[in-house]
Amino acid sequence: MKQLLLRIEPMIWLLFGQGILLGTILLTGWLLVVGLGVPLGIVPAEALSYERAHALGSNVVGRLVLLGLCALPLWKGAHHMRSLSIDFGGASRDALVATVLYAIAAAGSAVAVIAVVRL
Amino acid sequence: MSDQKKTFVVTRFDPDKDDAPRQDTYEVPVEPQWKVLDALNYIKDEIDGTLSHRWSCRMAVCGSCGMMVNGVPSLTCKDPLSNYGDRVEVAPLANFPVVRDLVVELDGFMNKLESVKPWVLTAKQRAVEEGTYRQSPAELEQFRHFSMCINCMLCYSACPVVANEPEFLGPAAIALGHRYNLDSRDEGNRERNEIFRGEGTVFSCSYANECSEVCPKHVDPAAAVNQAKFGAVIDWATSFVVPRREKE
Amino acid sequence: MARAAHPEAMKPRTPGRTRTAPPLMPDEFPTRGRYLPYVLFDATGLVYMLVGLAALRVVWDLGSGPEAWGVVQEQLRHPLYVAFHGISLVSVIFVGVRFFRLFPKAQPPKIGPIAPPPEPVITAMLYATWIGVAGVMTVILAGGIF
Repeated sequence: MKQLLLRIEPMIWLLFGQGILLGTILLTGWLLVVGLGVPLGIVPAEALSYERAHALGSNVVGRLVLLGLCALPLWKGAHHMRSLSIDFGGASRDALVATVLYAIAAAGSAVAVIAVVRL
Repeated sequence: MSDQKKTFVVTRFDPDKDDAPRQDTYEVPVEPQWKVLDALNYIKDEIDGTLSHRWSCRMAVCGSCGMMVNGVPSLTCKDPLSNYGDRVEVAPLANFPVVRDLVVELDGFMNKLESVKPWVLTAKQRAVEEGTYRQSPAELEQFRHFSMCINCMLCYSACPVVANEPEFLGPAAIALGHRYNLDSRDEGNRERNEIFRGEGTVFSCSYANECSEVCPKHVDPAAAVNQAKFGAVIDWATSFVVPRREKE
Repeated sequence: MARAAHPEAMKPRTPGRTRTAPPLMPDEFPTRGRYLPYVLFDATGLVYMLVGLAALRVVWDLGSGPEAWGVVQEQLRHPLYVAFHGISLVSVIFVGVRFFRLFPKAQPPKIGPIAPPPEPVITAMLYATWIGVAGVMTVILAGGIF
């Protein structure tokens, strides 16, 4: 398992890197409006009515943006949680921790693809 | 002699007598221009001759005198005592096994340095008749600052990954390997990038940047490690496209 | 008291001739000096993981029809959800600023024959992209255009 993790590590790093870069960039607007603006009433709720939200999300650009902000943060999250485990003496459990975290990220990414396709 | 005194709390460890490291306290009359190393040498010369510590050049080029001073990795010949208050704690470099007092086991570090093949690698040895290599100032500038490492190991003490992942190559070794990867005379990128993707994987670096913060020679090993990640990814990707010669 | 490092940290391939004391981590780890922002940076991994999964849940409900969308919009108004997204926004900004500080020096000196732009230019481009894209997304999501 350790050898497999070493072999796929460059790919994980690329996904993690995009998770930080694109994930951060895409999540900012999402959090400002969907996470905070509309729930707090700063942005009118009609802005995210079902019809409008669905129209925005189901065009090509919308689907890609939604895929990016759902899937990429999972890889950043998984990789950093693995680092945190190692920081606190987790070298011996690293293979298990990494496998579980990356499996969650992979599963989440697969569900994200389905979620944006079915919009 | 100056009237100013500082209290030095120094970690001591004698493997023949002590179960574990302990601390000894010394009152040292200090001069305003002293570095931490001067105080340690005063302790050894005037107070306690049993104190063991490494030092040599006294001018921050040999890399011998790295220690933890008030919890931070420091080159003691370069670090002025005026940076510190009345109490100064000196301990051996963090993350290293301790041989005795302030002396740490170096061989693990040497093993990591050697493992990145820190020499100009060429497919064919250059014949004498071909003359010397020619390298422009711009080509030299690409890697020159990465070659300034004095192997003081402060970066290894500061790095949380070195502390927790024994196989990790570490900042200085990766910076050294990267220095050769960037050298226009070198043809060993592929070999080194395979090492960078091996057990000691460069991808273990978790962006603490502490190595560059503590480096006394401004080598910026964090830049080298992260550039090396990029190089290793390109090498990994091209390995699927360009066939590799099998090693004999 | 310093935490123990891994017992085999910096261990030599061939053991030395005398007994050694085990390696210790720096005193300041994990909550003092620059180690605290470093540990927090790693800890944002949990935030990103949860935010990604929460966003996934919202997108899934968008694809499930107006009733499901109405339910999730109502849930997003819950104080705990709002607090979570507030913490997430702070985390995202913290991660962005820290990462953008490191990104320019992580670029190789040359990509083929091309040298990347100088570091201040790369930093400016990163922030311009972040602010630009986030700004456009905010305006679109909030109903300003389209």
